[in-house]
Amino acid sequence: MSEITPLNYEELRSLMVAAGLFVLGAIGFLTRRNLILLVLSAELMLHGVSLSLVTFGKIHQNQEGQAFTIFVLTVAACEAGLALSLVLALYRQTHSLDIRLWSELREFDVPSPVSVDAAGASSLTSGYEGIPMLTPAGVQPRELPKTVNADPKRPDRTPV
Amino acid sequence: MSQDLLAPLLWLIPAAPLLSAITTALLGPKLLKYRSHIPCWSALAVSFAASLALLIMLPQQTATTAGGFIPPADLVAAPGAAGTDPAVAVAEPQTAAPDVSLPVNRPEVVVYIGEWLSLEPAPDKADVDVTADIPSKNRQRRGLRVPLELRVDSISSIMLAMVTGVSLLVALFGSGYMHHDAGYPRFFAAVSMFVFSMCMLVMSSSFVMLFVFWEMVGLCSYLLIGFWFRKPSAAAASKKAFVLNRIGDFGLIMGIFLIWTNFGTVEFAGVLSNTQRLQELAAENSGVITLICFCLFLGAMGKSAQFPLQVWLPDAMEGPTPVSALIHAATMVTAGVYLVARCTPLFVLAPQAQLLVTGTGAVTAALAALIALTQTDLKRVLAYSTVSQLGFMFMALGCGAADPNLASMAVTAGMFHLFTHAFFKALLFLAAGSVMHAMGDVIDMRRFSGLRRALPITHWTFLVGAAALAGVPLLAGFWSKDEILAVLMAASRTGEHRLFFGAVLVVASLTALLTAFYTFRAYFMTFWGPEKFPEEAGHHPHEATPIMAWPLRILAVAALFIGLAVGPTHLFGNTLTKTVGLTPFEAHFHLDVMALSVVIATAGIGLAWMLYVAMPRVPATIATVLKPFYVLSQGKFYLDEILYVLVVLPLRGIAFLSTLFDRLVIDGIIDSIGTVPRVLGDRVRSLQGGVVTAYAGLMWVGLVVLVVVCLSIS
Amino acid sequence: MNEWMQQHPASIGGLVLWAIGLLWLMPSGKSDKARPGLPGILLAAAGVVAFCLGAGRGVDTLQSEVMFWSFALTALVCGALMITSRNPVYGALWFALATLGTCGLFMLQSAPFLAAATVIVYAGAVIVTFLFVIMLAQQTGSAGYDRRGQFGIPAVLSSFVLLGVVVYELQSAPLQINRPETPKVAEVGGASGSRDGGTMTSPPALPSPDAPINPPPPPSVPALLSRATPETPVGSMKGLGRSLFGDYLFAVELAGTILLVASIGAIAIAPRREEGAL
Repeated sequence: MSEITPLNYEELRSLMVAAGLFVLGAIGFLTRRNLILLVLSAELMLHGVSLSLVTFGKIHQNQEGQAFTIFVLTVAACEAGLALSLVLALYRQTHSLDIRLWSELREFDVPSPVSVDAAGASSLTSGYEGIPMLTPAGVQPRELPKTVNADPKRPDRTPV
Repeated sequence: MSQDLLAPLLWLIPAAPLLSAITTALLGPKLLKYRSHIPCWSALAVSFAASLALLIMLPQQTATTAGGFIPPADLVAAPGAAGTDPAVAVAEPQTAAPDVSLPVNRPEVVVYIGEWLSLEPAPDKADVDVTADIPSKNRQRRGLRVPLELRVDSISSIMLAMVTGVSLLVALFGSGYMHHDAGYPRFFAAVSMFVFSMCMLVMSSSFVMLFVFWEMVGLCSYLLIGFWFRKPSAAAASKKAFVLNRIGDFGLIMGIFLIWTNFGTVEFAGVLSNTQRLQELAAENSGVITLICFCLFLGAMGKSAQFPLQVWLPDAMEGPTPVSALIHAATMVTAGVYLVARCTPLFVLAPQAQLLVTGTGAVTAALAALIALTQTDLKRVLAYSTVSQLGFMFMALGCGAADPNLASMAVTAGMFHLFTHAFFKALLFLAAGSVMHAMGDVIDMRRFSGLRRALPITHWTFLVGAAALAGVPLLAGFWSKDEILAVLMAASRTGEHRLFFGAVLVVASLTALLTAFYTFRAYFMTFWGPEKFPEEAGHHPHEATPIMAWPLRILAVAALFIGLAVGPTHLFGNTLTKTVGLTPFEAHFHLDVMALSVVIATAGIGLAWMLYVAMPRVPATIATVLKPFYVLSQGKFYLDEILYVLVVLPLRGIAFLSTLFDRLVIDGIIDSIGTVPRVLGDRVRSLQGGVVTAYAGLMWVGLVVLVVVCLSIS
Repeated sequence: MNEWMQQHPASIGGLVLWAIGLLWLMPSGKSDKARPGLPGILLAAAGVVAFCLGAGRGVDTLQSEVMFWSFALTALVCGALMITSRNPVYGALWFALATLGTCGLFMLQSAPFLAAATVIVYAGAVIVTFLFVIMLAQQTGSAGYDRRGQFGIPAVLSSFVLLGVVVYELQSAPLQINRPETPKVAEVGGASGSRDGGTMTSPPALPSPDAPINPPPPPSVPALLSRATPETPVGSMKGLGRSLFGDYLFAVELAGTILLVASIGAIAIAPRREEGAL
């Protein structure tokens, strides 16, 4: 026999945490400019969705929630792979991960979002390109040598 | 003779030039090139032959088939039979002119081609009928029917023969004159088109068809005046001619509307031959007929260059000289005269309109003759003389006002002058073209003189033409001008407008004197005096080539003898008066008028000889003594300027105000409406900043709104 | 709405604190300078705690309470730190931690297999790939565009409005669940099967007895093999396998195909063409 009862607090808080994860991912997606962090934020949103699916599956005593989560996992893996290869392809053109460099969709008379905040933003391009080196850990690097546009053929896509 | 022969003849006359026009226009630039005259020549020759045959066959036709009358209305009653096969009806309208006791043969051939417009009146809607104010018995046909018909009667057949004949000669001349002009095919295409339009104009069976081809003729004239369209003056002249003609056309179409409202039909058969309705209308509302005549005459004024619309014709001399000869002397400008003559049944009922016709003609004739006195451009002298002679024709046409019985004689005189004038004026223009050709396109008479030895053929043909124009006895112009003067004299002796016609007669006589004078002034200035050539001519001015000389010779012969051939023999009058509305009249020789003519012509020529050959220094003295008049005449009475001030400037002012209104009010409203989306767009265009995350953010906001709305609803 | 605000001050306060903490931590759009991190972290953590407390308290074992709190706090705080970190490497690491927290929550929701799979897939594969990419692309650590945020306030505001609305909906009108007869579920983390143990601290406003009872319609019959039974409780490998390879066989095949296509696509996109890799 089945019975009708409201959510209990355990299920409720699990759903709330799931919603929180989803929203955090969305905030990250909207506020960050690093392509990789954008993809990571999307993954965080997927976590939120997965958690609610699992919770619903438990509420309804059903395997379907978890089965769907597995599909979500699959798609997330695909998406991560494709996204990262795309990020690499984009990086190869601009030598930067800034999403604002990809602004060809804008109206012709709207100023480029890069040039708008170019003032004050430090350049990523260093003199060390081509030399393999590990990502520095620990403290943030303070002063990086500023260089001008590396590729004059693509003035719009200069890293900032 | 059978109808089987007549129908193809009628077909051939317009079809041959049309075919030639299409062929030349399509094939000329690529294929025919400097052989483009061949289709035009052959087509015009075919047309001319057909016209001559028609002219001969038409009276006999009627004699043999009198009574075999098929009304066109019956034809239309079975439109299925019409189709593409032309149905031929040889018609002899039963109605005779009211003032004639004996029945007259009125030959008329109609070839029915098809219906152009056939609008049935709306049934049971008498309350919205535009003819509702006409008594019901008079509403013969309330719809509008415009059949596509070729209709030829006496006046048309004369016009056809004249148009095609002169055109053929001009085309012959033109091929020599225009040789190696870049627009050679274009010239012959336009000339063919013009002849087609003119033939269709005179073969129209209804006012609407007439109007259509009236416009086509105007269009061809526009194309030919502006033939050298890269020359600014030619482009301006063609535009001027076109626009001024529109003023007249406005009157013509108003007249057609009035005719339709009052007669319920626009066919000649239903209007001009409809004696009963004409009489009724004259009895109950003669003002309407007068108004119709005024409107029609306005159209004629535009086309035939009558005061004050005459200013386009002298400017039209910017076109090639053969065009001037063909269109602006011999054929097109006579369309107005033809229209008024054709509408004689209407005009006889409107004496005021006739007075206007005569008055306008007199003013135009005198004015143009005065201007022609001082012009130094040979073609312009001839142009003003054309205007003047057209004025003569109109003077004659209006003489029916004095006495309705004079109307036939008046129309015959006008049409006869039109007929003879076509030949000698074409001759004069072609001779002037020959001079121009020899002088390297210089036409200013002050820059050359004494050409009679260098250009012998041109010299004697020009002399014949000038003598015919001046009215030297036995030449073409003598007979026709004589008839006009005779009609005027007759009109000044009868009726209540005796004084008016007396004054017109005086004006006409003086104008004839002036005509003789300025014609021979031009002749003496050109061909007499010391031999002098402009440097454009080179060292040896060349006489006309044979292809140019032969048309001159033929026309000269025509100018010599055609008046004698058809005038005193009454051949012309007898043929013409078989037209609807005209009656045969007793023609006499007016010895008094002839004597007057001879005196006038001799005086004019003698004066010219004295001033320009015997005492060449006198004209300059006279010019200084009578300086104001000289300047006035030289400046063409400043009519262009007066028209500019009276017509163009007010219109410019209105246009300027309209522009202001358009720019400020209309555009302002539209622009401000257009500003709204732009302002809104400016607000949201920053969203299209190209930042990908901004698009994602918009999606996100949309999602949030959607969720909030959905949850708040549930 | 008013009622809910009075009854759940913790939720409101938690949301507000959390949002303020996030804004504090977030890279500013105007300047590169980072604020000191600790106040933001504390604010966000306090907000998260209060937010979760808003769910109410039930009778539950201490063990499960501890596990939930640690996992939930890990997931949410690490998520917050991930999205605000200026160095993408740190971001990826925070993301790994958040994933671990989520996996713990999976376990609490009787999904041990999923927890393991997620850890393997994410920590083992995805994060490592990300780190590799970061290493390839951005070797200098924090770049200019990493120290600059965008749309901070509108993003946080709209997102927390959404979160607030969802939480309000969950708390003020909780879902009425048509629960099937509970099969014996897999005992994971000891938190399962305690639906009778926990009730809302503030019972929902159930329809009054005299109001016409409008029970929710019976749920559509789930696919047979996906239903939990005493032999195959929710989260058991056997049950999950029956569901996947029974009811959703085609979807599994499809997912496999997608994986194949995606890997081909990644291979096609990633290499440098000018070097002749493809």
